[in-house]
Amino acid sequence: MLNNLKNKKMKQFSFAVLVGATLMLSAFTTINSVDWKISNDYSIKFKGKDAEGIFKSFTGDISFDENDLNSSKFSTSVDVSSINTGNGMKNKHAKSDLWFDAEKYPTINFTSSKFSKSKNGYTVEGTLTMHGKKKQIEIPFTFSSNTFNLNFSVNRMDFGVGTMEGMSKKVSNEITLEISVPVTKK
Amino acid sequence: MKKIFIHGIIAGILAAVASLIYCNLYQSTLGVSFDKIINIGSVFGSSIFGCVLISAAYSILFKFKKANLQGILNVIIVVLSFASIIGPFSMSLPLDIEFPEMFPGLVVPMHFFPALAFFTLSPFFKQSSFKS
Repeated sequence: MLNNLKNKKMKQFSFAVLVGATLMLSAFTTINSVDWKISNDYSIKFKGKDAEGIFKSFTGDISFDENDLNSSKFSTSVDVSSINTGNGMKNKHAKSDLWFDAEKYPTINFTSSKFSKSKNGYTVEGTLTMHGKKKQIEIPFTFSSNTFNLNFSVNRMDFGVGTMEGMSKKVSNEITLEISVPVTKK
Repeated sequence: MKKIFIHGIIAGILAAVASLIYCNLYQSTLGVSFDKIINIGSVFGSSIFGCVLISAAYSILFKFKKANLQGILNVIIVVLSFASIIGPFSMSLPLDIEFPEMFPGLVVPMHFFPALAFFTLSPFFKQSSFKS
């Protein structure tokens, strides 16, 4: 009788330990989560000679862990038709087949393939797809206060965006991008 | 001479009132807002400035007793009003303003209001102007 009672109490204790351990592990799993949700106050600015503006629509999946870069992943997409240069005519022109051809190529995509630490932050390598053309690029970025900051430039001619003839040559080849993406943990 | 400037100021006020009515109508009907760019002060200021400029041109005409060139001056005023619409079409708005393509539709008619108001009030001031 006494043994049965001891066994029962032992089983209860073991069960409590098991539940406690499970809860602790699941708590650690949550803390180590690397999936991030993009906040609404992101900004994507571009700037070049005679071309300046923003893209208003941006979506994507971001997994990033400063301590585990191998498991990190960026898969993002910018809606071309959300371009805003501050001028209605320029917006229409930018979306036309003379530039981005938003109807045929509605998004600009970036998919990461490799992350590495750099002197000032990190570097992500990946494929940028724009105007139907793909190119491997490296983008330096920082991550602080739950915000990704990326500053880099692309050559629009590498992607066949616009030409270097007529009025189009007034716009510089190199377009600088300033991207700020605040995130929250999922 | 003084009356031609009173003519200009009153025409400017009239043009500003017409512009503000049109502005409110346009923005409420189309659901856009350009309040960051256009406000009561800027509308009154530019309308009165435009009309006073027309008054100045008229006063020069009368000073040199060239009232017969009034028709040519009117044509120049209309042509300049028309040429001024290049401004809103080429203007780049702040990037946080939604629907910049709707901006010219709001501002372009306003560019014609000062001349329209000035010409509308001309019969009330014409005799005085010619006398001076």
